[in-house]
Amino acid sequence: MEQQSMIKAPVEIRYREELMALEQTDDGRKPENWRMSPKAVRTFILGSATPIQYEGKEYTIRKKYLGNDALVERCIITLAGNRGLMLVGEPGTAKTMLSELLSAAISGVSTNTVQGTAGTTEDMIKYSWNYALLLAKGPCREALVASPLYIGMEKGILTRFEEITRTPAEIQDSLISVLSDKVLNIPELGDEGFLFAKPGFNVIGTANTRDKGVNEMSSALKRRFNFETVMPISSVALEKQVILNEVQQLAYENHIDMEPDEDVAKLLASTYHELREGISSIGQRLDKPACVMSTAEAVSVYYQTMISAYYYGNKEFRMEDLVQNLVGAVAKENKDDLEKVKSYFNTVIREKSKEGGIWKEYYEARRWLK
Amino acid sequence: MERVLRSAQMAEITLLPVRHHSPACAWHVHKMIQLLKPSLVLIEGPNNANSLIPVMMHEDTKAPFAIYYSYHDKAQRLSEKAAHYKCYYPFLDYSPELVALRTAKESGVPALFIDLSYADILMASKDGQGMRSEQEKNNYSDDYLLSRNQFWERLCEQTNLRSFDEFWEKYFELNGLAESSDLWFSHLLDYCKMVRENTPLEVLEGEGSLAREAYMAQQIAKAAHEYGPQAKILVVTGGFHTPAIQKLLEEYVSNKENMPKTVEQIATDNQGVYLLPYSMEATDALNGYASGMPYPGFYQKVWEELEKNNEIESKLPSRTDCRVAGRMAIHTMEVEDFHCKLPSRTDCHMAIHTMEVEDFVYEEAVLAMLAQTGHDLRKKDEQLSVYDEICALTMARGLAALRGKIQPGAYELLDAALSSLVKGEYSLATELPIRLLQERMTGNAKGKLCHKADVPPIFQDFEQQCALLRIKPDSTLETEITLSVFSNKKHRQISMFFNRLLFLKAPFAQRIKGPNLQLKKDRNLIREVWRYKWSVEVAAALIDVSVYGSTIQEAAQILVKKELEKVNNARNSVWLLTRVFEMGLVDRIVPVYEQVEETILEDTDFYSLADALESLLMLEELRGLYQSELEFGQLVLLTIRKLVVLLPSMTQVKEESVTSCMQALKLIYQVTGKKNNDAFEQEREPFFDALSVMQADPQIHPGLDGCIHGILYGSGRQKSSVVEQACKGYMKGTKEQMMKTAAFFRGLFYTARDFVFVQKQFLQALDTFFAEVDKEEFMELLPELRMAFAYFTPMEIDQIAQEAAALHGKDKDSLMQAQAVLPDWYAYGNKLDHYGKEKIWQASRKH
Repeated sequence: MEQQSMIKAPVEIRYREELMALEQTDDGRKPENWRMSPKAVRTFILGSATPIQYEGKEYTIRKKYLGNDALVERCIITLAGNRGLMLVGEPGTAKTMLSELLSAAISGVSTNTVQGTAGTTEDMIKYSWNYALLLAKGPCREALVASPLYIGMEKGILTRFEEITRTPAEIQDSLISVLSDKVLNIPELGDEGFLFAKPGFNVIGTANTRDKGVNEMSSALKRRFNFETVMPISSVALEKQVILNEVQQLAYENHIDMEPDEDVAKLLASTYHELREGISSIGQRLDKPACVMSTAEAVSVYYQTMISAYYYGNKEFRMEDLVQNLVGAVAKENKDDLEKVKSYFNTVIREKSKEGGIWKEYYEARRWLK
Repeated sequence: MERVLRSAQMAEITLLPVRHHSPACAWHVHKMIQLLKPSLVLIEGPNNANSLIPVMMHEDTKAPFAIYYSYHDKAQRLSEKAAHYKCYYPFLDYSPELVALRTAKESGVPALFIDLSYADILMASKDGQGMRSEQEKNNYSDDYLLSRNQFWERLCEQTNLRSFDEFWEKYFELNGLAESSDLWFSHLLDYCKMVRENTPLEVLEGEGSLAREAYMAQQIAKAAHEYGPQAKILVVTGGFHTPAIQKLLEEYVSNKENMPKTVEQIATDNQGVYLLPYSMEATDALNGYASGMPYPGFYQKVWEELEKNNEIESKLPSRTDCRVAGRMAIHTMEVEDFHCKLPSRTDCHMAIHTMEVEDFVYEEAVLAMLAQTGHDLRKKDEQLSVYDEICALTMARGLAALRGKIQPGAYELLDAALSSLVKGEYSLATELPIRLLQERMTGNAKGKLCHKADVPPIFQDFEQQCALLRIKPDSTLETEITLSVFSNKKHRQISMFFNRLLFLKAPFAQRIKGPNLQLKKDRNLIREVWRYKWSVEVAAALIDVSVYGSTIQEAAQILVKKELEKVNNARNSVWLLTRVFEMGLVDRIVPVYEQVEETILEDTDFYSLADALESLLMLEELRGLYQSELEFGQLVLLTIRKLVVLLPSMTQVKEESVTSCMQALKLIYQVTGKKNNDAFEQEREPFFDALSVMQADPQIHPGLDGCIHGILYGSGRQKSSVVEQACKGYMKGTKEQMMKTAAFFRGLFYTARDFVFVQKQFLQALDTFFAEVDKEEFMELLPELRMAFAYFTPMEIDQIAQEAAALHGKDKDSLMQAQAVLPDWYAYGNKLDHYGKEKIWQASRKH
């Protein structure tokens, strides 16, 4: 697969060289069927200060997941154990990204994925049949269409299950026996109808806490998972860094030859942070909008502004564009949200505009809040 | 070894840097004393506590306990305030200082504290710094010195660790246990030197560190001379101070004339030093006193495991012997060339290595904590399987391996519980496992003192008072006592005694029933019911306040004054006065009065003053019952004056504060109307003047407007026609004003409900008003109207109903009559009701 022919290349392709260098230089103990040791997985995700020397080249491993290092460590150890890993949290807290990084580092592939939807059925999780072959040859392995879960068990790799709580509870429960007994029963294949999971197999699930009301997980299934709650980033500086990293990546993938502006990223990070927490940096109490104020949303607002600047604005960020994009991101479900952002501008941003510079421009662009 | 100082005339001095609560440190101190066999052990700690050492070592004294130091600056050496100072020096079983004392005792070696006395340390520190910082509890242990500058932050970043405590645990506890004692202390000293270099000189001076270090160095040098060159002296001091002491001693050894200079010492008068039973909670650094490592319960478990291992080990050949024997055996094997038949050399090395770290004490502690938490959770009916616990232990081990730690520690334990025991999203609803685990890790052990422990005079006063009032001071069974405080003088005295203890936070007695003057509740009760029992916490609390006086009464008086200094509004200062009243404090109460007066004068919050007035009037009223000699008239007068001054600015109050404002108006009206008090009566005119000013404000809140009209009408200063005019003004005003009518009535009826009965045409006007408003407007007015009419008594309501009915040519009974319902209709309605209920029930079961 050529990276440049895809809008977004999977992690294992994007970081192919890094993964290779880590794999080859890894001297730690590996769980069976893992591509690298837990220590190397940690280095891949959390970066390392000293570069790795491999085949005469130096590889600096950049930190890819910012926020909670201990959480990443717990995830790695969970996957080496007997239980699945369930990442839960608000939308846009990089759960999917983390699960992709983990799968790519541990199994070398991040695409073995079940996408959970309200329409997911049991055969999408376990297996289905190629009916032409089924009619021609009868039930045999050849006629069986394997699901990502099946493939994970067969090859001893990780299976990702995205948005697990969107699938109906009874469908979710088909995972229970697989996770506890590590065996899948295929009665149609008769005596050969047992698929025993190879070492290295495990499941990483993700679930949004906002979807909790839709399909709550059964406690039997919960018991088969270790839960990790991914919290929104707690510091503005870190959030700014995430915005910059992500936008750079997006710009690179889409051939936009422009460097992101650090001050604008800081401004947006602090807006999102303050509105999400309901308190400003100097302690003013704010009304929290009901919509999702995630870092991922901030990244998309920033990126849109950047595209406008690239194509229309002579590569210069305009606060008007930023505010307009912010409106688009905030005013989705509830009209009141926009009012809350307006009053945020009239209190916090007005105060900060006294500093001058982009804060002043930002405040002046508030007329677009409508 | 650079920590050892040798000289021809002096004893050999070995300096051991320590961190105050650290099992590994305690472990290595223990081993060093056993190894070096010193002639004397010197320990950092104020020297006026030396007399307590035998009590600390007594077999009946159980840790945690603390040395309590107090100083009353009567001579105003520190400041003009002649203030009271106190601080704590907590000890746990695994505190290196305590272990040093215990090991010294086991080996028959004398041990002494060598720091300046507490008062001297205070003298050497600048105001607001070190032990003179303004905080709830000052601690003698100064571990915070090791982790307060940027230095450790960089270290944590470099080592991927979250906090100084995690850094410490990894390198000094977990990995440190496997190190030799000598290496361990060298590492710590290196660390301390780097921290020390990063601390500015003025900070060191301001906190008194320099003076203390000079004094300790002097004491060490003196002792070294005394014991002579044949002896060995071991010195245990906080790591932060060790490099400085070492430097001073080195200078002294190279130039003997120059004995380290020290500050001038003040006499030990007015200083107190006692042992205090302590608790794990109080020791936990997480509770905000930064007294050492967090999670004392966890480290206590680790220490117990270490001691257990020590016992087993003492019965076996020493580890060094084993190692030597092992090496020799391998060596012999090589010589005799038995390679093929014997395990490889690497295997043998590994075996030896395993022997060294075989004591997986931390893992044992982690396992014990997990099992206990599991047990606690199951007791609370939480679903938790043994498999969950197994997963948690596996997780803890895995994390330790990933993080390069020999064994899992406190942070792996917490991470493992978070991952394996919490089911679902981490939130308030699911955090119970973590909360219970943290409780376990903090521990709930409480210390105990032996009977020989000295007690301060206040404690003796407690016992005397108990004897005098015939209360059993040492009964650990709860005793209930009913006190007729208003009729029996002795009962009132007991109540005063209990109240004083409560105020001193000594948990001896608890009031179950009785009038509550603070909340102004249950004032109709004439008896108080108390339950009392003795516990160690009572002793701890009494010792804790012993700095404030030698009797309970004296301590309570001083503490009231201290509390008052913190209070900045009239409401709270009078609240405190209600407690003084209950405690029956009379002597030396003038300064308290002055203080309350001052807060009232300074307070500009109307509601706080109004609350204060209400409480003061209550106290004034209850004086006779409580046989109190306290006078409140002056304070009442002052509060009224302040309120009257503030009144004109209160016209545009917020909706939620109208009621309290109305209450205040009524209260002032009632008080100033009392015939028996001339002083109060004199305030009546200014009060009415203020009311007139308020009325003149067109923006006045309708509720207040009504209330003022009522007062002026009631006092005969306003004719009924004026009130009527005001009512009509609202009723016939523009829509917005009309909607305020109900609020106006509410105010009016609050102060002058008789107006309705005196002015016959009023009801008529009201009736016309109701007829004019449409249904929607009426519904909007209704809640406030209901409130307004709630001030009438049932009899009055009845009368109003009668008159209202008469306006429509009916009598009051006909208003109550409702049309009868046909039986069939009723049955049908009933059936419909049941049907609906059933459907809802079914639907809810389906979901």
